[in-house]
Amino acid sequence: MAAFITPSRLASLKQLRCSIFQTSYNPQSLRTGAKYLRRRLRGPSMVGYYPESFDIPQIMRQNKWLEMVDEDEEERLMDIVDRKKRGKGTPKKAKTPEESRRLTKRR
Amino acid sequence: MPNARVIRDIKARHGVRASEIARRAYLFVARNETLSPQVRHHAQLQLNTFERYTRPTTVKNRCVESGRGRGIISEFGLSRFQFRLKALAGELPGVNKASW
Repeated sequence: MAAFITPSRLASLKQLRCSIFQTSYNPQSLRTGAKYLRRRLRGPSMVGYYPESFDIPQIMRQNKWLEMVDEDEEERLMDIVDRKKRGKGTPKKAKTPEESRRLTKRR
Repeated sequence: MPNARVIRDIKARHGVRASEIARRAYLFVARNETLSPQVRHHAQLQLNTFERYTRPTTVKNRCVESGRGRGIISEFGLSRFQFRLKALAGELPGVNKASW
């Protein structure tokens, strides 16, 4: 003959079990959001994905006291000045809608 | 010099790292059914105020060599063509061309 166990007694058994094994008692199975705290942080490993690049212009910009000259950059700026002199520079940015309409080609 | 998309991705990675703990805390509150609905709603609104490049889903693994976004072999972090070039040059240890 099987002994009859009331639901309340089963619940109290579960509660006791939780207190012994140090797990949280959650009879309604509510979402506690604990998984967001338990999960490992992903940021630190994300940051190291790209290897460090050796960027000479950036080093020059950061250490102005070195007084180094970026020759490629100087040459580029010189070329722009030359092109402007010959009237081949980039056009000015349109300030108003009319100007931009005038500059676009019509088909 | 990395291309603009790689720079944007680096920015996203740093943003994720900076705001990850705060985001997790708000997520915990917002998804916690034992708290009051008002508090949870407030936490959800706070989550929505985070900038775009603080969300982990904005981070994309791009090719380390060329910056290409598609066809990445994640084990090496290279796009399929860069992987081929490097493998043929013998720069990837343990990788050799199949032949049978």
